[in-house]
Amino acid sequence: MDSLIVAKKEFKILFRKKALIIPLVLFPIIMIVFFGYGMGGTVKNAPILIVNDDIGRASSSLVQEIGSYTARYDGDPMFSVTYTRDMSQSEAESKINDGMYKGVLLIPPDYSDRVAENKSTTLTLLTDSSDTTTSGIIVNYMRQLLAETGAVSLNVPNMYGNLEYLDFLIPGVIALTVFMGSVATTGSAIAGEKEDGTLVRMLMTPISKRSVILGKTIYQLILQLGRAVILILAAYLLLGFNMNGSWLLISLVLVIFTLGGVGMGIVMSSRVEDMESFFQLNMLVTMPSMFVTGVFFPLSSAPDWMRYIAYCLPLTYAIDAMRIIMIKGQGLNAISTDLIILTLFAIVTFAAGVRLFRREA
Amino acid sequence: MEPIIEVRNLVKVFHSRGRKITAVNDVSFDVFEGEIFGMIGPNGAGKSTTFSMLTTLIKPTSGSIKVAGFDVEKQDNKIRPLIGIVPQKLSLYPLLTARENLELMGNLYNVPKKVMEEKIDYYLKLVGLDASADRFTGGFSGGMKQRLSVIAAVLHDPEILFWDEPSTGLDPQTRNVIWKLARKFNDEGKTLIFTTHYMEEADNLCDRVAVMDSGKLVALDDPEILKEKTGSTNLEEVFVHFTGEEVRD
Repeated sequence: MDSLIVAKKEFKILFRKKALIIPLVLFPIIMIVFFGYGMGGTVKNAPILIVNDDIGRASSSLVQEIGSYTARYDGDPMFSVTYTRDMSQSEAESKINDGMYKGVLLIPPDYSDRVAENKSTTLTLLTDSSDTTTSGIIVNYMRQLLAETGAVSLNVPNMYGNLEYLDFLIPGVIALTVFMGSVATTGSAIAGEKEDGTLVRMLMTPISKRSVILGKTIYQLILQLGRAVILILAAYLLLGFNMNGSWLLISLVLVIFTLGGVGMGIVMSSRVEDMESFFQLNMLVTMPSMFVTGVFFPLSSAPDWMRYIAYCLPLTYAIDAMRIIMIKGQGLNAISTDLIILTLFAIVTFAAGVRLFRREA
Repeated sequence: MEPIIEVRNLVKVFHSRGRKITAVNDVSFDVFEGEIFGMIGPNGAGKSTTFSMLTTLIKPTSGSIKVAGFDVEKQDNKIRPLIGIVPQKLSLYPLLTARENLELMGNLYNVPKKVMEEKIDYYLKLVGLDASADRFTGGFSGGMKQRLSVIAAVLHDPEILFWDEPSTGLDPQTRNVIWKLARKFNDEGKTLIFTTHYMEEADNLCDRVAVMDSGKLVALDDPEILKEKTGSTNLEEVFVHFTGEEVRD
């Protein structure tokens, strides 16, 4: 009950900070509008599976050509190719759903014969279109390659609907928004309360430390989920965003992620005495997340060192889970690893936050 | 009279950038129920640190404090509802109105809503803030904030009222109001504990005065007796007698 007193107070103050509410809502929308148009990327080492059920010469030369294709990236091949045979299209689709491959090329058994006879033939290319940049490049490349072989046409089934870069961007922006928002608003509110003495004053009352933290957390959960809903609705209404997944799963991911963000905000605010220092610290901590974790471009196209950094940042996993849910429409199984990592993040930061959030000010 | 606060061999050591600072050094005293107790001393004497330990905000390095029979380290939950605190830094939420700030405090002390609203109305009127009840406190003057902070500290009817530098930076009119409030609370049976720089304030209000210097308690008695003992005509001279003329950091 005590915590509700705190949560209510936080909301009352928020609604009076007009200059804060507007950016809280507009920031993510502006971001998708600006970044949504005119940003692309490139691809390297995209995992591709070739299911070759043909044993003829034409198919082996095609396979070889794809495997050795090297693009701009410091001599790194664009694709890392795995070969197999006897796999159905639905099996292949499930591999993409699980994120194992960015693309699967299915070569039918009669491919070489038909090419030799100059008959028209069709290859099927499945791509992970939830990663619009990579899948676009794969499709374009395959089209170019096959254009040279004459009568071969490419069938590219649309696994996740007709997707654009925006569809790739929006789940990432939501995760980013929730992360930056929960860290910054929790931390700056505490730093501000430290600065004007209200935090110490509150801790002089019988309310427990836990209730204060819980109150602030309840406030953050409502605030951040509210922002996510506004953002998804705005993306739907303004940009025609397709929401393929479950709202419940999105909420689950965002609740866990917000808890981590709140914990992190508390930890960071415990290291500073005023708002200004907090914001400097906040820049240092959240900025790398913004640019390294693949909000704006697929992680697979980032250089190795950047990817290793990304794997250390919790935002990476939140983005991944959000994309899997929102674009691929997958269930709990597909995001279990992400959820475990995010839960660990929340537990660690929260435990540290509760410890560091001291009565002694 | 019964001691309501018992301080025994109190020590507080801070560690700051590799330096050890003993802010409070082996201090013992009692505060009796129903008295107005003053703590005076130059800057850095250890008044505020002692005050923070008495109000359960920081823990002693060694020694013990009992407030109303409860140990400050182990039973701080029992102590907090019994005490009211007017901090030196008047801590009000600038974007809440005077009334909302008071309601927040009342709620945090679990004051029943009806009782709380009656008290808020009563006290706001008493200190002359009733007309500003629905204004944000961000625009309040120092005097208004001080008066509001006092109300915030007594809504739950505490037995003991701690008051850190009640009249620092206030005009004489506000100071008078504050002093009158202090006497009123004392008449109602509350024990009051002040820290102050103003000798006049201590002289006027306090039944007993503790003089602190460099973390030590150097004198403790009735202001009249302290004046007699040191051959001083006012508490200012008593203060200088015990703490010297040197300016402190």
